[in-house]
Amino acid sequence: MTDDLALVQRFLRTRGEDAFEALYEAHTPALYALALRLTGGDQGEAEDLVQESWVRAVRALSSYRAQSALRSWLCGVLVNVRRTRMRSDWRTVDAPNVEPAAESVDPDESLDLERAIGALPEGARDVYVLHDVYGYTHREIAEMLSIVEGTSKSQLTRARALIRRSLR
Amino acid sequence: MTDLPQELQPDPALKQRVVSALVAAGLVKRRRPWRAWGVAAAAAVVLLTVGVSVFRPRHMLAPGNTYVLLLHEDSAWVPPPPGHNRERRAELARWADSLDEVGKFVRAGQLIGPGSAIDGLFMIRAADDSDAVRIAATCPFRKHGGRVELKRYVE
Repeated sequence: MTDDLALVQRFLRTRGEDAFEALYEAHTPALYALALRLTGGDQGEAEDLVQESWVRAVRALSSYRAQSALRSWLCGVLVNVRRTRMRSDWRTVDAPNVEPAAESVDPDESLDLERAIGALPEGARDVYVLHDVYGYTHREIAEMLSIVEGTSKSQLTRARALIRRSLR
Repeated sequence: MTDLPQELQPDPALKQRVVSALVAAGLVKRRRPWRAWGVAAAAAVVLLTVGVSVFRPRHMLAPGNTYVLLLHEDSAWVPPPPGHNRERRAELARWADSLDEVGKFVRAGQLIGPGSAIDGLFMIRAADDSDAVRIAATCPFRKHGGRVELKRYVE
């Protein structure tokens, strides 16, 4: 049994705060990093996304069957939560906070790249982040974003071209 | 693929927000506050007045006034490393036990609900305001950057 599956089963048995915290600590840094990039570095929005994603994920956790890694499953939940929020009428549309997201390993180059990612149009940014940062395949991305694989490929080409241009 | 980090640590306060949201939605059971109080917990009575869980003291209460200590996790708060929550709770429990021995512990609990920045509370007995300040200063929550707000409680 994988560690993730053991954590999930422990949580489902007890529904306790301690068991949830173990899941939270194992996967929130990855969810937060993804949320931060998908929101172009908006920390408040990223935190809201992570919070809503955990609520959605915990509701659906009993249906998790370990056919995919838990982290991938959770990232899929987050991507879908974000898409739902973007479609919601009540969502605020204030100018996004474009401060640098967080410290990274190589401050100069990575920060430039983070900024370039944050400046991408949203569709292209989603595909770029999921493919080039997290390593999802076009097929997986197409499922997550409810688009066809061809769209994922063309958005990635567009994103890479925009990033190359902004890093020159 | 890029070599950007795939993990970034969010603000530590986010965990409490997420847990509170899950508790409010009925998806997670809140841990009982400082459950290391073995004997006290066995005789615990949970009162659901204004959402505060409480434990009865084991000793006669000392004369004086009742005070509430509100525990805030502000920006200086240093959360326990993963797996060390129990040590922190035990530390608080030992402190509460020491107050209980002299009749100065009334009850402890947590405020449940989304958006609360207060991690927990203690009700204590103290001879007067100065005594209450002295007791609050010894609360181990402060050792970890937590802020303790003191209020006199009047019924």
